[in-house]
Amino acid sequence: MSTSFDIAIIGAGPAGMSAAITASENGASVVVLDEKAACGGQIYRNVNNSPLENPEILGSDYTKGGQLVNEFNNCPAEKYYNASVWHVSDSGEVLFSREGETHSLTAREVLICCGAMERPFPIPGWHLPGVMSAGSAQVMLKAEGIVKEDAVFVGTGPLIYLVIAQYLRLGVKVKALIDTTPNTAYIESMPKFPGAIPKTGMLFKGLSLFNEIRKAGVPVYRSAKELAIKGNEQAESIEFFSGGKKHSLETDHVFLHQGVVPHLNLTRAVSLDHEWDKQQLCWRPVHDKWGKSSVDWISVAGDNTGIVGADGAELTGKLVALHQLTRLGKMTETERDVRAEPLNVTLHGLNRFRKFIDSLYRPLDEFRIPQDETTVVCRCEEKTVAELRVGFDQGGRGPNELKGLTRCGMGPCQGRQCGHTVSELLAEWREEEVAEVGYYRLRSPLRLLNLQEFGQFSEIEPVNAAAGDIA
Amino acid sequence: MNRLKPDVLIIGGGIHGCSAAYHLAKVGVQVTVLEKDWVSRHASGVNAGGVRLLGRDLAEVPLSKVAMKLWQNLDDELDADTGFRKRSLINIAADEQDMNTLYARREKMHTAGYQHETIIDQQELRERLPHVSPFCVGGVVSEDDGYAIPYQSTKAFRRAAERHGAVFMEGECVEQIRKVGTHWHVATRTKAFQAEKLLNCAGAWADKVSVMIGDNVPLTHSAPMLMITARMPHFATPVVGAVSRPLSFKQFENGTVLIGGGSKGFADRDNNRTRLDYKKLAIGAYNAAEFFPIMKKASINRMWSGLEAYMPDNLPVIGRSVNADNAWHAFGFSAHGFQMGPVVGRVMSDLITTGQSTFDLQAFRIDRFERKVL
Repeated sequence: MSTSFDIAIIGAGPAGMSAAITASENGASVVVLDEKAACGGQIYRNVNNSPLENPEILGSDYTKGGQLVNEFNNCPAEKYYNASVWHVSDSGEVLFSREGETHSLTAREVLICCGAMERPFPIPGWHLPGVMSAGSAQVMLKAEGIVKEDAVFVGTGPLIYLVIAQYLRLGVKVKALIDTTPNTAYIESMPKFPGAIPKTGMLFKGLSLFNEIRKAGVPVYRSAKELAIKGNEQAESIEFFSGGKKHSLETDHVFLHQGVVPHLNLTRAVSLDHEWDKQQLCWRPVHDKWGKSSVDWISVAGDNTGIVGADGAELTGKLVALHQLTRLGKMTETERDVRAEPLNVTLHGLNRFRKFIDSLYRPLDEFRIPQDETTVVCRCEEKTVAELRVGFDQGGRGPNELKGLTRCGMGPCQGRQCGHTVSELLAEWREEEVAEVGYYRLRSPLRLLNLQEFGQFSEIEPVNAAAGDIA
Repeated sequence: MNRLKPDVLIIGGGIHGCSAAYHLAKVGVQVTVLEKDWVSRHASGVNAGGVRLLGRDLAEVPLSKVAMKLWQNLDDELDADTGFRKRSLINIAADEQDMNTLYARREKMHTAGYQHETIIDQQELRERLPHVSPFCVGGVVSEDDGYAIPYQSTKAFRRAAERHGAVFMEGECVEQIRKVGTHWHVATRTKAFQAEKLLNCAGAWADKVSVMIGDNVPLTHSAPMLMITARMPHFATPVVGAVSRPLSFKQFENGTVLIGGGSKGFADRDNNRTRLDYKKLAIGAYNAAEFFPIMKKASINRMWSGLEAYMPDNLPVIGRSVNADNAWHAFGFSAHGFQMGPVVGRVMSDLITTGQSTFDLQAFRIDRFERKVL
């Protein structure tokens, strides 16, 4: 009979790393799976082996991750990188591919912390070559030190200002920032401002990024609306309204960004209950204060639970680990509660700041729910708003029926990119709440899985059996 | 729209229920279809889309042959796009033993007067399927076979039925059926229906409906598994099967390849769910790559299964209830009912409106497994 791990953690970002450290140092046998070649997640990618000569220019919010990464590397958890999880069964089996083979393992507790992805930005022309997300600009920078000269950045949210600042510090020319944060957002977010006051350090960081962009002489167009990227084979220009005027900028590189949303493919595929978060305008798995999902032995942490940021992710990862240790009988409830208390206090403060940020950088309806008929919603199958409307009128009232009728969401990304857009579009057409509309029913393998690779099966057991469930 | 007192109440919005509704409505019968989830939600919407005459049980051949004719013009008849493509279907023989199986089958078919299956040799196999592995020695082909898009096909019947006045009510799960006088009283959670005539097309749930009508039936349910690849360069026009191995696939016009083969996952009928058996699916993947080495590079995009009803002899139940008047059954198609949808609906319409069918339905009686009294 094969032996099981106590805890399988999917995703080695700040949430997964901190959970692994806490759990493994308290006697649980832990396995961590991450699809990338190293730990760190999107935020701390390559933090200790940056391709840049001076990684400091990426900012202290990045470099501080080095310590967590070191701690994680030294903790007794088993780590599998380049391990792409494509199925978690309701019996506790985790299937993943790695180096041309399919592996399976079992665990008593599973933690899903696959982080966030950028919110889709469905405007006319967003599917053209030359248009990327600001997040992918940062990934290229962190992973390979690649930058794009003379790009136009479009959108709202802290990440976009950070990436521009990082570009400028490297001496990369930025053609313009088209800021879609509406002027009214500064006023409307004020009621949430008191929550941000204890975090003035974070506020100043944000302001100083913006000043950095201004001082560098990057043209900034504020409160931009009616965006459209033009081009035949590839992006050639971007048109928009700002300051009461229509503008057109020539560019072959556009970086879009309007915040991030939880990465849902895995949590949806294991059929966890989800709810629509009206503050963050995204789906998130239902979970309690310990991150426990609607399935007893599956927990969620970090941005996968709703956007909490890197610091929040680290805290929620620890909280999940404490509770899982209790469930495994390796920690008393009293000790768990004592250790959780200071974490919860810090987390509460972060959440108040998050409310302010969510309100300030709330993406506009027109950039989430495309109105232009020609706008592509499903990029894999190239389905436009007009085509979806035909499917809707034929009776495709829910995401799954619409998928069956139009193929929207059937491509390789399995609706990862169009899922939120489709939920919100259907809600608008039905004049109902997004929660009523629901989301795609997802199928494994969540990613493209090579046929030959799939044919090779093997099982993985804890190396250190003494720490496993034999005791 | 609600219609609580139709002439005929059909339970089950799969392809057979929708097709029956279409044929009945077309001749002026008032029909209501009750579907517990939504139309085409289960086997009819998520099956492999095979439109297959090849290799049918002899009892099914007459029905299947007429169905195949209907498929060729179904888009025109229903004024819809079912996605049907006539592509031929080839079952591949991997060795001489397979060829002997084919010769025996040919003997049987010819004796029964059927000529639609043609044995091909290795050379012709390679001409028709240039990417087939060299070890394959021949096969058998049926020219009119092909595939259609299940969800679209079932929806096409539904919409055509609606144009003739049929009413579909989704989210209506039948909880109780009683015969009161001359009428069936059928209750869902929130609604009560009455109809003189009742048709059970409830697929994997049809045994429950049968029992409420008064017929016992040894129906089981399972979850046949499928997988589909990302787009590949075009390499196979015919639909492909194998004589003795669990292999079945078809390449669609968009380049994606649907791989089936009949291996089964786990069916959780009460919760509308299925669970896949990945180790078994992996064998299907292995077979596909063995027969067609080009598939080694294929990328699987989705794997799924649907809830399907099976009879012990893998033949459907088609015909009247044996224990109640004015009730009929069409279910238990055992993972090969999709192709017969167009004809079975017509048969049910004939049975319900005239009491007769032009087909011999003895092999499909619901009581065929009842123990004979000595």
